[in-house]
Amino acid sequence: MNKSMLKITAFGIAVIGFYIYITIYVSGLSGTGGGETASGVSPEAGEKIFWGDGQCSTCHKIGTSGSATRGPDQEGLWARAEERAKELNMPTGLDYLVESIVEPEKYVVKGYDKIMPKVFDPPIMLSREKILAVLAFLQTLGGELDISAIMKYKDKIPEASKKKVKPWVAPIVVDAKEGENVFFDETRPVTCGKCHVVNGRGTKVGPDLTGIGAIQTPEYFLESILKPSAKIVKGYETMYVITSDGIPYNGLIKSETEEELVLLKEESGEIEEIVIPKSEVAEMKKQEVSIMPGNIGELLSVKDFYGIVSFLQSLK
Amino acid sequence: MNNVKILLMVTKKSAFVWLFILSFVLPLTLSQKIFASEAPAQVAQEAAVSGVELPQFEGGQVSGSSQSSEGQPATDVGTTTAVAAEEEEIVPVQYRTFFGIDSRLVVWIVSELHLMFAAFVLGVPIFAVIVEIVGFKGGDIKYDKMAKEFTKLLSAAFATTASLGGLLAFCLFGLYPEFMGHMTNVFAPTMYVYALLFFGEAFTLYGYYYSWDILKGTAAKKWFHISLGVMLNLFGTGLMFITNSWATYMMSPAGIVPATGKVLSMYQAVYNLLWMPVNIHRLIANVCFGGFVVGAYAAVKFLGAKTEEERAHYDWMGYVGNFIGVGALIPLPFAGYWLGREVYSASPVMGNIMMGGAFSWTFIIQAILIGMLFIGVNYYLWLGMGRIKGSERYTRFIKYLIFVIFLCFAVWLTPHNLPLSGEERAMIGEQYHPFSKYFGVMAAKNAVVNLIILATFFSFLIYRRSNKGEMVPFSEQGKAGKIGIFSALIFCLLMLVSYAVSLNFVELDANIKVFVNPLIRALYIQAFAVCLAAFLTFKNKGKLGQTLLFAVTAGIAVLYFWYYGFQVMQKANLVLRYLSVTQVAIVMSCLIMNAIIDVFMFRKAKLVGGIVWGKMPVRSQYTLLLLCIVIVILMGLMGFIRSGLRMDWHIYGVLQDTSPWAYTPTLSYMGRVVGLIVVLFLGLVTFVFWLANLGEKKEEAKPKGYNYEVSGDDYGNAH
Repeated sequence: MNKSMLKITAFGIAVIGFYIYITIYVSGLSGTGGGETASGVSPEAGEKIFWGDGQCSTCHKIGTSGSATRGPDQEGLWARAEERAKELNMPTGLDYLVESIVEPEKYVVKGYDKIMPKVFDPPIMLSREKILAVLAFLQTLGGELDISAIMKYKDKIPEASKKKVKPWVAPIVVDAKEGENVFFDETRPVTCGKCHVVNGRGTKVGPDLTGIGAIQTPEYFLESILKPSAKIVKGYETMYVITSDGIPYNGLIKSETEEELVLLKEESGEIEEIVIPKSEVAEMKKQEVSIMPGNIGELLSVKDFYGIVSFLQSLK
Repeated sequence: MNNVKILLMVTKKSAFVWLFILSFVLPLTLSQKIFASEAPAQVAQEAAVSGVELPQFEGGQVSGSSQSSEGQPATDVGTTTAVAAEEEEIVPVQYRTFFGIDSRLVVWIVSELHLMFAAFVLGVPIFAVIVEIVGFKGGDIKYDKMAKEFTKLLSAAFATTASLGGLLAFCLFGLYPEFMGHMTNVFAPTMYVYALLFFGEAFTLYGYYYSWDILKGTAAKKWFHISLGVMLNLFGTGLMFITNSWATYMMSPAGIVPATGKVLSMYQAVYNLLWMPVNIHRLIANVCFGGFVVGAYAAVKFLGAKTEEERAHYDWMGYVGNFIGVGALIPLPFAGYWLGREVYSASPVMGNIMMGGAFSWTFIIQAILIGMLFIGVNYYLWLGMGRIKGSERYTRFIKYLIFVIFLCFAVWLTPHNLPLSGEERAMIGEQYHPFSKYFGVMAAKNAVVNLIILATFFSFLIYRRSNKGEMVPFSEQGKAGKIGIFSALIFCLLMLVSYAVSLNFVELDANIKVFVNPLIRALYIQAFAVCLAAFLTFKNKGKLGQTLLFAVTAGIAVLYFWYYGFQVMQKANLVLRYLSVTQVAIVMSCLIMNAIIDVFMFRKAKLVGGIVWGKMPVRSQYTLLLLCIVIVILMGLMGFIRSGLRMDWHIYGVLQDTSPWAYTPTLSYMGRVVGLIVVLFLGLVTFVFWLANLGEKKEEAKPKGYNYEVSGDDYGNAH
């Protein structure tokens, strides 16, 4: 390689080196970047999501924080939300905020374009909890925080998942509402509501099923109904008790003191309460069989069965 | 894919047979298995009709039910009519590694190298043909020689481009099979067209190069040869457009059902929202890229030249390469702006990621690189004036140009939002610096970009005037000048007035629309200024016309819109996009009109002195090298931005990237990778060019019978 080529090579390396140096410098200058993770429905988590994962700050600023002007400035948002709710005949400012997130094109503030994406859809795909957290944060922008009021809107916010999950589909046409009727229908041979509570309705023998759809899968419901002994919720195991007289009982422990044991026993579809003095208990052990009848599959039609599964799925 | 289809078909058929059998068996089995003896009779009938039974459990496992990801909350299932839900084909994305190396890195490097070579291979033929035509029409063989030399480099680079393309295809199919399966499913027919066009390009390229000496002698032969060159460009452009459709589909997918990937319209998939903006942007950028690479090639040859003749030849070649690079560089920001705007239109989220999110800092780096390009281009022109007798008359302007360009560069570099510590913020009193924040917003940046373009254009004008003395009055220049000026006038008026008229019909609220009115007025004022410039030229006062047009353009597009941009941003953000287009239209009209006036005004001017080719300082050649290296880096950076905007999606919003490399790398990592790619590209290019020159005789560097010392019009006006 001659001298001029060496010089040229050195020059090229210097220019590229300068570029790499600039990228390293800017990388340090720009900070960490990216959204921070946040959890829980709280204004603190919501604020992080607003400036991070949710990418809200790329369109909205809040007073002197942020620089975006594509969307409205969110400073003092709550007062405006209340005002617009009144204009639009909505009960509260939260209704307006929820609608703005769930259906952003329904109401567009004058002077702004219809550019707001549905944040639960790809590519942002904020989870419902994160959206609720953002709502909590937005409520604090001029308003008083009311988490319980925000939580009432959870069903109105679609859930998003980063993973592609194949939705469970009942093999026949069913309606969750009809499933609910079956669940509480006491004229049927079997009534789920006699042992389970949903949103305060029913009798609490087995686990409370309020909100069960948000934490359990359809497969879990299918199995729990058709094979109730396959998985028994902790605290709801059947106890096998033999008294000193040699009488055996199978049932759930309702309460237990030093003096007595109260058992809930299923008898011909009815729950019966049996009080046994502790002094008469000769033997007591957990059973691997659930107190829940194992023949429910035989007592329900296919439509009713899948209707109940759909109803349980809807309990979110 | 066909095997899968056959399998599915067989499964479906066998399922039908089983259903048929079950329709007879089920009434019996269901009534025994599911229903209690007291269950109503219609239940059995219902089950028989539906052909459905309850799921069975074996060993605690659910059979016959769909799978849900573990630990995931249940999604919206069963709450509505179930049959409405479509069966989705869920195929997990599959990845392989490249001998344990990060697959993304491998694809990144190979694709970028392929793109860089492709840009050269596509850009150079465009001006090779133009240079050949110029040489043929002007009867100047040195242009023909240069065009052939470019083509020689081209044919050597073509094989490398093709090899890298093949490697890229193998890497993609091997490392990202699921993604490529999707792409093949959507674009398979275009891939065959691509292959055909590739044959076309290969045949015309080699035909063009190897028939160079055969097809000369007569005009007919030469035109046939030029036609081959035109065909080569058409094939090349077609190839680029096809690959652009694949790349842009990944950013703005269309013509498919996003949930299932089912292809509804391949036409829409090809002609997606970003296709044409990227086509135009790349077409211009490739010419720019090719020009600067040729400039660098000439610089290397110049620096290694042994004789004055060689130096003169390569100085001239470097000038032509730089001229072409600059010519394409000037409209490039406009094309880039259009592309950026369409990215916003395609996906506001992606647009926000680009300019306001994770990628906003990359544009600071881009500003540095483009600033280097513009400063380099101007510096080269100013140095070039040193070899032109008579340029002394214009050197006084250079200091003002330096001031303007560096001022613009500084504004362009200013970020809006400085990362401040709490203490710093407390000192300032707010998040932004009270003074510098005004330079960080788009209104300021648009203004200075236009000013840089105008300043560079002015540099070019004084360069080409350096050798010109007394002018022939325009009125004595014959019809050609009048037709030329009149055509430019009509073109500019059409552009300005049609846009002004269209602005009257934009659908905006009345309180916002009032902010559009100043734009309409500005366009009409500019139209008037263009008319006035043409009128003054016809009255032999072309210089005054040019000066007025420059002044009006700078006044409106730079000063007024800088101020008005702030107003619009604060009060009517929606109008900002119209303001930017108005700005572009006004500056473009100034460039076109003043360039045409200049060409005809100085057409028959007396020469002050000659251009002494080869009398260029060494630093001018390093400037050419700098321009080449910077444009290569810029291409690498912009490739990263365009691709990275999809974040963790292979196909934005349709096919997610679930590989371990789905994260967005840091800027410093990007810098190192792009730096490596640039080193590899420049190393390969040097090697390929060395190979191409192996068989050449050294004396060929200088065509015999041509005097490079006094060229006058032959060089100065040919461009």
